[in-house]
Amino acid sequence: MASEVNTDFLQDKKLDSIAADILRPVGITQGFVVWMGFLGISLMGCIYAYSIQWDKGLIVTGLRDYTSWGMYIANFVFFVATSLVGMLISSILGLIGFKWVKPIARIAEIIAVAFAAVAGLVIIIDMGHPERLGNVFLYGRIQSPIVWDVTVVITYLTISILLYFLPLIPDLAISKGRMNHTPKWLQNLYEVMSVKWQHTPEQYRLLMKAIRILLILIIPTAFAIHTVTSWLFAVTLRPGWDSTIFGPYFLTGAFVAGSAAVVIVMYFVRSNYKLDKYLTNHHFDMMGKLLVLVSIVYLYFNINEYLVPAYKMKTAEAIHLHDLFVGEYAVMFWSVQLLGLVLPIILLLFSFFRKPFSMLIISIVVLVAAWFKRFLIVVPTQDHPFLPKQYVPQAWMVYQPTVIETAITVGTLLLVLIIITILVKFFPVIPIWEMAEEQHELDHKSQK
Amino acid sequence: MKRYFILLIIVRFSLQLSAQEWVVAPADAALKSPFAFTDSTRKAGEAIYVANCKSCHGDPGKNNAIQLVPIPPDAASVKMQANTDGAMHYKLIQGRGPMPSFKNTLSSTDLWRVISFMRGYNPKYVQEVALPTIAGAAAQNVSIKLDWNKASGQVEASLTSLKGQVSQPVAGAEVKLFAKRYFGNLPVDEARKSDAAGKVAFNFPKDLPGDSIGNVQLIVKLTDEVAYGEASAEATLAVGVPTNRPALTAPRAMWGVLAKAPIWLIFAYLLAVLTAWGFIAYVISQIKAIYRAGSKEQL
Amino acid sequence: MSQNSKDASPDHGNLEHGSTNSRRDFFKNFGLFGAVAAAGGAAIYSGYNYEETKPGANFVRVLTADNRIIEVPKEGFKDIKVDLNQLQKQGREGLKGHRFVMVIDLAKCRNARKCITACQGAHHLRPHEYHINTLVMQESEHTAPYFMPKPCQHCDNPPCVAVCPVDATFKRQDGIVLIDNERCIGCRFCIAACPYSARLFHWEEPLMAEADKGTPYNVELNVPQRKGTISKCLFSSDRLREGKLPYCVSACPNGVYYFGDENQDSVTNGTTKETFRLSELLKVNAGYQLMPELGTKPRVYYLPAKNRLFEFKDDKDPVKSI
Repeated sequence: MASEVNTDFLQDKKLDSIAADILRPVGITQGFVVWMGFLGISLMGCIYAYSIQWDKGLIVTGLRDYTSWGMYIANFVFFVATSLVGMLISSILGLIGFKWVKPIARIAEIIAVAFAAVAGLVIIIDMGHPERLGNVFLYGRIQSPIVWDVTVVITYLTISILLYFLPLIPDLAISKGRMNHTPKWLQNLYEVMSVKWQHTPEQYRLLMKAIRILLILIIPTAFAIHTVTSWLFAVTLRPGWDSTIFGPYFLTGAFVAGSAAVVIVMYFVRSNYKLDKYLTNHHFDMMGKLLVLVSIVYLYFNINEYLVPAYKMKTAEAIHLHDLFVGEYAVMFWSVQLLGLVLPIILLLFSFFRKPFSMLIISIVVLVAAWFKRFLIVVPTQDHPFLPKQYVPQAWMVYQPTVIETAITVGTLLLVLIIITILVKFFPVIPIWEMAEEQHELDHKSQK
Repeated sequence: MKRYFILLIIVRFSLQLSAQEWVVAPADAALKSPFAFTDSTRKAGEAIYVANCKSCHGDPGKNNAIQLVPIPPDAASVKMQANTDGAMHYKLIQGRGPMPSFKNTLSSTDLWRVISFMRGYNPKYVQEVALPTIAGAAAQNVSIKLDWNKASGQVEASLTSLKGQVSQPVAGAEVKLFAKRYFGNLPVDEARKSDAAGKVAFNFPKDLPGDSIGNVQLIVKLTDEVAYGEASAEATLAVGVPTNRPALTAPRAMWGVLAKAPIWLIFAYLLAVLTAWGFIAYVISQIKAIYRAGSKEQL
Repeated sequence: MSQNSKDASPDHGNLEHGSTNSRRDFFKNFGLFGAVAAAGGAAIYSGYNYEETKPGANFVRVLTADNRIIEVPKEGFKDIKVDLNQLQKQGREGLKGHRFVMVIDLAKCRNARKCITACQGAHHLRPHEYHINTLVMQESEHTAPYFMPKPCQHCDNPPCVAVCPVDATFKRQDGIVLIDNERCIGCRFCIAACPYSARLFHWEEPLMAEADKGTPYNVELNVPQRKGTISKCLFSSDRLREGKLPYCVSACPNGVYYFGDENQDSVTNGTTKETFRLSELLKVNAGYQLMPELGTKPRVYYLPAKNRLFEFKDDKDPVKSI
């Protein structure tokens, strides 16, 4: 992202057509109402499930003293992981200078904001006393990784929101006068949010500087958020969690999940909003290559994480690995590793599979596998504490997620979809001014 | 071969039988209580029984003993009551297998009180009180003085009794020394007999912790309560190792409270948070600057 | 039956003196006599425990600290006001100058489980909610099985305390690790961090939630227990304050437990009340700690299960017995 912006593109006729294309789907449509209605009603059911948990306590979940972290925590890790893609695409790839990420960057930020925001909620759902959340701020001990996690989630969410909002400001100004098909309140909202944007060089200079700071700041923050999340497990003494590579292992896994999520949102934006011109086959092809790259790195960490302890077979580790490889979790484990990691790598090496639709299918498989992967990281380790599990009811021996628990987890996913839908539907999903600027530059160069 | 096996079984069986019998030497079995059992001794005995015996033997007559192997006999049972007073006293002192020894934890008087309580469940029981011990051999109103002989490292007790107006040394009396600890009295050295001058010297361990200035609360007791009555004395002497270890919460640690967090951690955490939020604050100020620039332009 | 109903009242202080049979009856009859128990309440403070003899009677039977049962006019109890702040303050500070330590002699444990029932009675727990549990252990195929009572190890480097985000679980100057359920947010990070599985979580409304209503919270007893918070072994710190041995230690019929003060180099056996030098006991019997390689520095020592006076008989199925 160049720090000097040539504002000539504002006079370019192309801006009108680009703005028209991108702003056309903005606003309330019938499809939107139906989709949101569906999400909203489903969410009500999930909120009802949570009200039962609030009333009766966590007894309504399948969690018990031995497996005391389950689906909620797995879901939390998944959410944090997925949200990291905002950093990868807009920051790392953007700063390196890859031009193709420009139309995708905002989608990546939307995913980051939505998942990071709900991740905080997921962790509250898992608490025995959610109303005591304030204690974390009143009595917080900075020795606890949870306090680090709370700090860094809030920081990351703030930076992600800013990183979504700042590049949006010029677009909000551009949209002025081109939004006659949208409700009045939305236009007013745009007016307020555009912070008196006049496209002056001074304003562009200030904006580009602020964005650049955020792009750099978000890199360590994103590393921190997922590394700290991995430390929630790695700082314990339990076999399966007691690992020094958990930080990078989680981080690379996060990029896999996040890239898949971006592809899925890209696909639906492109097909629903008819934006083939901006989200081209080339973008899917590049995302496919990115997904292969991060998957291979993640595979490398997987091999490290499983092969090294499997070679030594220390008693406690051996029990854990036995459970994963051939025991109770074998089916889930091998499905996740083969279908969610190995197979996508092989398929995506061929350009044939890097087409939008096959990319969509592969990404859905990868994302679902990513969720179960988090489940496999969180749950099986707790099944085998150092000391035997004895003299407890049968239900305490195995973790079986309940319907209520599942419904609440689905509810958090619905909430993410609602946030994504709102952001995608009410604001330009592709940066208009950046597209116009790029187009202007291209035209200018070819004229020369 | 078969015969050998049968023999083995017989031997094993007889061993087991003998293991169940608890033989008390005739001299010990003949021992009698120095005092008559009355309602008040029975009542005192009940409290001691509840505190020390009931958890295994259960309530007398209710057969609700804990199911151990062998099952502790009920205090009212024929088996228990078949013991002589002396045999009961002996078994309480000695202990065997799961039955603990009360040698160091209950006084002889207390043991007789417990026996008195148990005898209350035997209507056929008729007590034989011990004959008064030969006068002169034992003394009444014994007083004990404790001192520390720094040179020899020994704790010395001197036993005297008042005979008329004259204070006389008590010779040949068995004495035990204890150090008071938080939950009980720790026996120090073994039981010793006083010499002709009424003196007893106990070897005191060099490494027993005392308080911050080395003080240890000592208790000395006469064991032969029949002859001397219940005589004991307490004294606080600087015989221990001065112990003033810091609170376990003193050092900075990962598990400490916030105020005891490691310095580097406080520093690193604050640095990270302030840096990140400093930049965020700056970015927000830039948005304000953009707003101001736009307002100026509008004018 | 009337005898039972008396036993069913919450007579926690009695435990030291082994009314453990009635403890079992208590759970058996809880459904029947829950109402009586609820009416009796469960105010427990400073070792004074009361039970109602007859509903509506003007006198209450009280078990004093020195184990005498006396009758006191009911009105006498109304004046006792327990200050929550004071309880919290003293509970967090701990007992100065002490470093409490427990020694468990595995050679004597026959899995009588009296320690467990005594503990659960005192702390108002269900039969499967353990502050202390006895496990059937066997190191490997050809080694001897043995019973191992497992309380919280009250580590000197407690991983559970390190991870607590809100200082709800903490270590005191006397070495005891407590949990403050007024503070606990229920994140269960401490459960994940504890390698000894020593902590429990109140997934549902605790056993005596109704009966304990209104009782000021005593952090040293962790009663009233609270839904959505952690509970754990407290080394019976309410009893230690009075110079008494912990509930489990006093309830053991087999002389398994020794409890004492490392600063005084002494431990006292809960069954025989005999006092020994800690260093001697550990030296003579080759005492050891549980999983010392984890660096947790436990305050609980074990004496190996050798020269046992009985045959190992595992007659309770540890998996299906509950």
